[in-house]
Amino acid sequence: MATKQDILEALADYQVQCNDNKRLRKMQRDWSKLIHFNADDTEDKFTMNCVKGEIVSFEAGAVGAPDIIVSAKSEYLCDMFWGDLNPSQKYLQGEIRVKASQEDIVRLDAITMIIWPDA
Amino acid sequence: MEQDLKRVKETALSDFSRYLSPMKVRTIKAAGLDIIEDKREGACVWDITGKKYIDCQTGSGIMNVGRRNNEIISALKDALDKYDIGVFLLCSKPKADLAKKLAEITPGDLACTIFGVGGGEANDAAIKIARGYTMKKEIIYTQKAYHGHTGFALSAIGRESYKEPFEPLVPGFKMIPFGDIEAFKKAVTDDTAAIILEPIQGEGGINIPPDNYLPAVRKICDEHEILLIFDEIQTGFGRTGKMFASEHWGVVPDIMTVAKSLSGGLYPISATIFKQEIQDFFIPHPFIHLSTFGGSDLGCVVGMAVIDYIQKNDLSAHANAMGKRFRSGFDRLIKDFPTLLLEVRQKGLMMGLQYTNESIGPRLTKKMAERGVIAIYTGNDPSICRLMPPLVITPEEVDYVLNALEDSMKELSKEAGLGKND
Repeated sequence: MATKQDILEALADYQVQCNDNKRLRKMQRDWSKLIHFNADDTEDKFTMNCVKGEIVSFEAGAVGAPDIIVSAKSEYLCDMFWGDLNPSQKYLQGEIRVKASQEDIVRLDAITMIIWPDA
Repeated sequence: MEQDLKRVKETALSDFSRYLSPMKVRTIKAAGLDIIEDKREGACVWDITGKKYIDCQTGSGIMNVGRRNNEIISALKDALDKYDIGVFLLCSKPKADLAKKLAEITPGDLACTIFGVGGGEANDAAIKIARGYTMKKEIIYTQKAYHGHTGFALSAIGRESYKEPFEPLVPGFKMIPFGDIEAFKKAVTDDTAAIILEPIQGEGGINIPPDNYLPAVRKICDEHEILLIFDEIQTGFGRTGKMFASEHWGVVPDIMTVAKSLSGGLYPISATIFKQEIQDFFIPHPFIHLSTFGGSDLGCVVGMAVIDYIQKNDLSAHANAMGKRFRSGFDRLIKDFPTLLLEVRQKGLMMGLQYTNESIGPRLTKKMAERGVIAIYTGNDPSICRLMPPLVITPEEVDYVLNALEDSMKELSKEAGLGKND
């Protein structure tokens, strides 16, 4: 189980990884989404705001009306943000659930592919 | 030997990823579909490592006559001994023969043909003809429609994500809900040239319209002098249990487009078939729409052989029989797995399984692949699995697919994340 603080630290690293990646920023420059992450086991919620490919903010709690909702065990969320698991694999095992359009699901996977090509 | 094949496979996937599409390889790998197509026969394809799959995707309906059908191969080989693709400005017997055949087998008074290479090109031609002939500009299309990724056709796709990055598109296109006759009535103006429809939406999720819909569309078109275009690219050539899906409702369009299975999976060809009176548009300008490779002589020979094969073997009737066999299995599955399978939408061997939630499509795709069946959720909606096996599929193969589905659903029903869509 991952604590709220663990996930916030992982999110902070994820924000740096994404925002520092020029290739990713260019690729996602037409993508602006508000994303909620729900930890099933701890019931913690997190909000990430992505504007034109840049993660401009993240915070604890479910804020605003999300475009995408990602739900999983806290540990999986944490591992996902650290790049320690393949989210596609967990998605296909039903361990990570995503409420989003097909295009946005592919976009999320594309982010992982660019920042962690071997995940 | 086995290790060698695995190495060949990994190299092919790696090269595909590097030189074609990294994200495609990543996605198909995740779905368990990292198959390197090798041997192909009937309803089946073999991965380069020797694993056999029953192909229920068939490029969304290319392989009605089966994969590498011997009779079609033989016709193509004979044609290669005599012809090349031909010169598009000149006439040839294969072109004339196939156009005549299409006039014979298409419903009503469809009579004339423009050939192309692919489905998008056929729909581009249909829309151009509609505007040119009527001298009106507006084209009505439907939500979730799929007509191809080329210029005019792309403008008629009912899915914004395919279009947004390429805007501005061709102007004058208006989208309405599929199956809603009142919406069509409201959309019509004095400048409406045509409505383009798939009689049954394929990519949209095997959406079958209410029985009164297509006849009512025809009536409104007649009242307002609007051309009715049917895109039968996925539904044509026996797929739905009749030669063309529109025959289920007895509705004759003004223009019909066909492609995919006309190719026999061996040589690309498409056709835009229209009524005789529309030919008048081309009389003053016969060279206004040309296609270098469209209606190549080799493709026309293949098209003729495909139609002959479908007629000789009555594949429409076989599609109905195998469709019924599938249906009885689906009915059992709906009863046994109500938390997974909501409903089945089907005409012949054009079949859509509506799952109860969006996560099920990708997960069942993977489990079916593990069991040797290619069955993929639709691009427009991952809660729907589209099954379009070759029309030559045997009863034993149908049973195999049904057993694979049952086993996959049994396994899936024990896993996490079901009954939720969040």
